[in-house]
Amino acid sequence: MTTFASPTIQVNAVSKWYGNVVAVNDVTFDVHPGISGILGPNGAGKTTLLHMIAGLAAPSEGEVRVLGEPSRGNPELYRRIGVMAEHDALYPFMTGREFVTFAARLQGVQNSNAVDEAIRAVDLVEAQGRRIGGYSRGMRQRVRMAASLVHDPEVLILDEPLNGTDPRQRLHFGEMVQQFAASGKTVLISSHILEEMEALAERILLMVSSKLAASGDYRAIREKLDERPFMVRVVASKQRDLAAALVGNPAVESISLADGAIDVQTGNIGEFQSVVARLAQEVGSRLYRVEPLDDSLESVFTYVVQR
Amino acid sequence: MSGALFMVSLRQAASPKRLAVIVVFALVPLGTAIAISALADGEDMVNSVLDPLVIATFLPITVMTIATTAFGNEVEDRTLGLLTMKPVSRLSIVLAKLGATLLVTAPLAVLVAIVVTVLGSDDQNVGSAAVAAGVAAAMGAAAYGSIFTWAGLMNARALGFGLVYVLLWEALLVTFVEGLRYLSVRSYIIGVMHGIEESAFSELADRSIELPAALAGAILATVIFAYLTVRRLQTMDVP
Repeated sequence: MTTFASPTIQVNAVSKWYGNVVAVNDVTFDVHPGISGILGPNGAGKTTLLHMIAGLAAPSEGEVRVLGEPSRGNPELYRRIGVMAEHDALYPFMTGREFVTFAARLQGVQNSNAVDEAIRAVDLVEAQGRRIGGYSRGMRQRVRMAASLVHDPEVLILDEPLNGTDPRQRLHFGEMVQQFAASGKTVLISSHILEEMEALAERILLMVSSKLAASGDYRAIREKLDERPFMVRVVASKQRDLAAALVGNPAVESISLADGAIDVQTGNIGEFQSVVARLAQEVGSRLYRVEPLDDSLESVFTYVVQR
Repeated sequence: MSGALFMVSLRQAASPKRLAVIVVFALVPLGTAIAISALADGEDMVNSVLDPLVIATFLPITVMTIATTAFGNEVEDRTLGLLTMKPVSRLSIVLAKLGATLLVTAPLAVLVAIVVTVLGSDDQNVGSAAVAAGVAAAMGAAAYGSIFTWAGLMNARALGFGLVYVLLWEALLVTFVEGLRYLSVRSYIIGVMHGIEESAFSELADRSIELPAALAGAILATVIFAYLTVRRLQTMDVP
């Protein structure tokens, strides 16, 4: 990430509320060229924040600037930015090619090859002549991506772009975004899935309950998340023997028997996984399931915020 | 106005389903006029068909059916952002939507108004009466188009608002409260019709306003509500 370049997106003390509901609460950050990710559970305020960055919504307080200009009430700025909203906004009566051509025309794109290139970039060449109404979810995501890219923007804002895509498409999408960012451009991408961000973003902005909870390098945040206590449910034969063996082990912080399973709190999930396997073998217990109980983003983010 | 945006708006407005609906609407006054013309010789076509069925009902409801969806569907389908996140002025977006609405509705409104007028006119002034009916219907379609396009952007229940407006304001209040005629699209249409061809539409004299007031009113309503739509697009949070 080119941290020394001037920020392409500046969010300064921005809040947004709808009546008594606070959607975004006093958020400040800068985004530089490269790939940055807004990560947070559903309802954290990611989409509202992206809407304000894209100029679709006015902040109740604070200021948003993109490429040095106010993003709100500035249609000319859209020549330089591409936005892919979260919802499946498309015209089903159009073909994929018509939709991308429509976007290109509204963007004033003169290069006749731009539509071909955008469609090729999202791997939609074969389906471009079909009506969007008959597209799969993944195809609709890709045609929206092509429409966002067709004018070769400097900044790309993507709200949950991987929803509905399969693993191959996610891989292809990642390569495309990384290629885009490698040319010195800016990508701001939102997701509620940690692993998506791990694969894509160099810098993470963590949103929790309308606030910016943390920001920085993905690995640093990930390490912080991994340190949190995990609740793990173990389903095995000879439960009481296995539970007795686990008690007192340094990897186990607390233990309880419930609903035919052993619920364990551990401070080190990696070590616990090897310990439980070894102890099960020692007591002759067969492990049926070892599953996290609270690996939801909400619990992860709550932990980060509390720290 | 963006050509690409206009063409997409036209495809939305002129979907086969919507065209079928407004053609069915048109058959009501046309069928009634033809039946009266054939069966009831000497019947007052202006008072029995042109004013109540064409001017007060068919024209506003037809325009409302198309105009309220011009932005209403974009808001509902969350496609409005596709238009507003482009380097296109808000005025261009509104003109494209309004233009498409009028291209679909105005020709039919003009045609119905002219046919009913011709069926009810004597041979002497049928040409000028048809022109007056056509001009008035076109101006009325533009004014209604602008009002209902704005309503579609303002409110998800624009169709309900439109029906109340047409039935309560235009059909009821304006009929009984004389001063309100200067704030009524129906009165502008009647005023233009009667102002251009007084003798053919003499039956409308008691509810007509002066031609200059009618022309100014129709133009002002069109311009003011188009401006309000542009302002709304500039200031609203796009869903």
